[in-house]
Amino acid sequence: MTTTTAPSTRGKPAVAGQRRRRFKSGTSTLFFLVLPSIVLLLLIHGFPLIQAFIQSLHNGTLVDPGPFVGLQNYIDNLTSATFWKAAGFTVVFTLVGVFGSWAVGLALALLLRTRIPAGGIFKVLLLLPWVVPIVVSSTAINWLVATSSSPIPMLFANLGLAPPLFLADPTWAKILVCVFKVWISFPFMMMMSSAALASVDETVYEAARMDGATSQQQLRWITLPMIARSTYISWILMTIFCVNDFPTIFLVTGGGPIDATNTLVVLAYRTVFQNQQVGPGVSIAFMMTVVLVFISTLLYRQIRKAAI
Amino acid sequence: MSDLRIPDVSRRGFLKATGVAAGLALVPGLAACAQSKTQTSSGGGTAGTLKFWDMPWAQDAYNKASEAFVAAYKPAEGLPNAALQRIQWNNFTTTFSSALASKTGPAVSSGGGFQAFQFADQGYIAMADNLISTWEKDGFRKDFLPGTLEAMKTDKGYVAVPWQTDFRVWWYRKSLFDDAGAKVPTNWDELMTAGEALKKKGYFGWGDGAGAGNNIGAHTMVFMMINNGGGLFTPDGKLDVLNERNVEAVDFIIQLVKAGISDPASVSYTTDNHLAQWKNKKFAFGIYTAGLDQALGEPSGADLLAASPLTGPHGDKAILAFGNNIMMYTNTPSQPGSEAFLSYYIKNMKTYWQQGVVTGLPVLQSIVDLPEFQKSASNVKVVKEYQPVAKTYGTRSTQLFAAMAQVDGSQPLAQFTQSVLGGQTDAKSALTTLQQGLSTIVKS
Amino acid sequence: MAIIHQTAEIGHVAEKQLLTSREKGTRGQWWRFVLILLITIVTLVPVAVVLFLAFTPSVTSTTSGGFTAENFTSVFATTDVVLWLQNSLLVTLGTVIVSVIVAAPAGYVLSRGRSRAVSGYSLLLFVFQSLPVITSVIPLFILFANLGLVDNLLGVTIVYVASAMAVATWMMAAYMDSIPISLEEAAWIDGASLFRGFVQVVLRNSLPGVLSTAIFTFLVAWNDYLVAIVFLRSAVAFTLPLGVQSFFQQNTTDWGSVMAVAVVMMIPPVLIFVLLNKYFSVGGIGGSLAGQ
Repeated sequence: MTTTTAPSTRGKPAVAGQRRRRFKSGTSTLFFLVLPSIVLLLLIHGFPLIQAFIQSLHNGTLVDPGPFVGLQNYIDNLTSATFWKAAGFTVVFTLVGVFGSWAVGLALALLLRTRIPAGGIFKVLLLLPWVVPIVVSSTAINWLVATSSSPIPMLFANLGLAPPLFLADPTWAKILVCVFKVWISFPFMMMMSSAALASVDETVYEAARMDGATSQQQLRWITLPMIARSTYISWILMTIFCVNDFPTIFLVTGGGPIDATNTLVVLAYRTVFQNQQVGPGVSIAFMMTVVLVFISTLLYRQIRKAAI
Repeated sequence: MSDLRIPDVSRRGFLKATGVAAGLALVPGLAACAQSKTQTSSGGGTAGTLKFWDMPWAQDAYNKASEAFVAAYKPAEGLPNAALQRIQWNNFTTTFSSALASKTGPAVSSGGGFQAFQFADQGYIAMADNLISTWEKDGFRKDFLPGTLEAMKTDKGYVAVPWQTDFRVWWYRKSLFDDAGAKVPTNWDELMTAGEALKKKGYFGWGDGAGAGNNIGAHTMVFMMINNGGGLFTPDGKLDVLNERNVEAVDFIIQLVKAGISDPASVSYTTDNHLAQWKNKKFAFGIYTAGLDQALGEPSGADLLAASPLTGPHGDKAILAFGNNIMMYTNTPSQPGSEAFLSYYIKNMKTYWQQGVVTGLPVLQSIVDLPEFQKSASNVKVVKEYQPVAKTYGTRSTQLFAAMAQVDGSQPLAQFTQSVLGGQTDAKSALTTLQQGLSTIVKS
Repeated sequence: MAIIHQTAEIGHVAEKQLLTSREKGTRGQWWRFVLILLITIVTLVPVAVVLFLAFTPSVTSTTSGGFTAENFTSVFATTDVVLWLQNSLLVTLGTVIVSVIVAAPAGYVLSRGRSRAVSGYSLLLFVFQSLPVITSVIPLFILFANLGLVDNLLGVTIVYVASAMAVATWMMAAYMDSIPISLEEAAWIDGASLFRGFVQVVLRNSLPGVLSTAIFTFLVAWNDYLVAIVFLRSAVAFTLPLGVQSFFQQNTTDWGSVMAVAVVMMIPPVLIFVLLNKYFSVGGIGGSLAGQ
């Protein structure tokens, strides 16, 4: 332990030239502080993970543990059209979800930084999509679009356009589900962007304005680079949320129509709970998780390197 | 960093807080003793208590009636009392199988139609042979409608006792037919003609729904296959999806879809949406469970009526029905106790039909003969005309077996139904995909 | 950042620009207001639907037209809404309290600790956060069944705490990052132990971080459906998501009552957010994640 009265650098983004402080002593206390967390994680996440892996090596059902089949479930997945279709939509859903919500969130965060009457109220109202329980919002969506006498198709009909079959047509169902996900996620992105924007020094903007930089130039050359790290982190977190998101899709379309809106996690759920094939279903979940963890860890380490 | 200071959190205070948290965490356990307005459990008897798990078979009135029914059970000396627990349909197989695997399951339960067969394979089911032989001795066995009890038989014995039958019934709305000047069909050709007449007036002659959580659509597909003499399985239980009769049946449905006789949005109709279409007079003809008039709150025999079973193109007459049953488990405090309770249940369940709280149809002749039951014209018709030609799920025989539980509600079947109702496919390719999908499930 | 190098050039050009930008500001203000108003209205359509249906007499009622609160009175009188509400509140409060108690010290370690072990812990958090619940649900159920934790609220609470653990820890760590270590160092010089330093200095000043974490874990526990449906069976133990779903299924076309229950489910999280939103901050997560 050193004695110093110099201001701490903790919490501020690391700038080249300043080392972060290191804290070495008192390891046993640190260990006990973190112990409950580790125990809980190992018990609730770790143990079932091992069990689940064992299950994925068997061809069991909900009722019957089944025979040991080694990696057969994994091989079957790699050769299954349904699996790849779900993988494809997972990618689409995630890309739209992450970038869509980020774009909307950032735009709103920027907008809300300017002076707007009743801005505080808007800030809170715009958080609602994330706060409203998904069981509730998915039911509202169904009421809005399900049959030809539902409000939104009726709106189309009144405008003289052929109402799209939002839930029955595979393409429209995909669009609906992606839009719904962006709706749910943008508040989170808005909050992260807000926080990041707040940490950018105002003087830089003033200087840029003096030099005649337009808003667009300011956005591109100042704002975005300065919130880059927070942006990348929010992308990674949202990617994890999107890939793992089960209720958003399942409660609206059930993975249909004709498996169009199956993502890997929805397919895994249906395989386990509808087909009652536990082994194959869990193997899908595993494959998805491994890829997700691999990609996220890679990106995460890239960001660490870039930040310093 | 803010200047906010929370009150001094000394180590003692910290521990106190942990204690409070632990206490709070225990409170939920106490809360579980709270009474629910929709469920009560009767107290335990001196000889232990039989856990009886029941599903929500109908609207709320049924739940209340079943609680009263179970509470009224007075066991003989030395036999256990019964305690009712309601289990939701959502993921019920997981609920039951995890409970059985951890030995916290019930002694007696109702459940899915194929559940007993599934669990019997794993040795969880106590066979009902003993109980049934006592009924043969006292003559009660004769009360069962033909075929109902036999459907519960396997090589190992009777896995369960039937209590109600869940029929898939042809329904039609008279006012819409009159308006379109169409005749209620008696065979498939007439279905097509009626559909076209109805379409001119904007009504759908093929009312269906295959959205999330709505099994009716998948059942409709299998129904039509069976109606044409086909089915998903051979009589001895092998998967046989790609046969001529099935292709014909699916072809017919696709023609209906292409002719606009089926509602294109059916692909995504949940049960709510499906019922709404019937209620809002958009559906003129279609398949649904028995008691549709009751479910919509319409008077019996007024506008919504049950049609007679249709004859297929080759002259076959068949309909689809699910035999709901009550099963006993090996993990029971007392097997004689389970049998006594089950006997009480079956012999006295007529009260449900007397109160009019169930939509399923009875398996006992004595209940059919009840004046209350006779009041519903559609129900009487179903027992008279549908029961004799009832086939179980996907076979050309009346046997049931475990794999059916995995097929019903499965993803390949859902996907098949949706692609057929979407009309963008042809019978052969749809059935081939279904065969492939089901074969991975059925073998496991 | 070439623009910054040119900051020396300041002249009446800049003054003129400032003037026009101020004018633009006022006009721009109203444009922006309208824009954001439109966006907010469109965004809140689903919420409006729920409120609208909840306050409209349902098809089975005898009241005609207009808005009424009768759905609420009927729902409170005939269903178990109060019970579900109770259960949800219990579980959620339990989750929040335990989460904060476990995540605060863990966050401290993440914030202050620098060693390979801590990096390993951070990675562990990250990996576990990426796991979908579905992989763990069945084995967990069997484990809990053997421990007697199934079909009661305590078991569900434990699962929720673990589900929210990673993000909760990151949030606490992020907030603690902003508390200068010099304060603790001062305490250590005075002879305080590490633990005391943690409690007296850091925890005392972490109220916003604690609230942030509390709000986040509240949402995780309040809204969860998948875990609840697997672990809870008896109607007495139902939390609101389960109650709402079962209610949907039993009352197929009675939108009024169904939406009334939905509104009940919506109110607590919305209320908490409205009242405490200024404390809620997720921005620091980024720093804490990347700062290892």
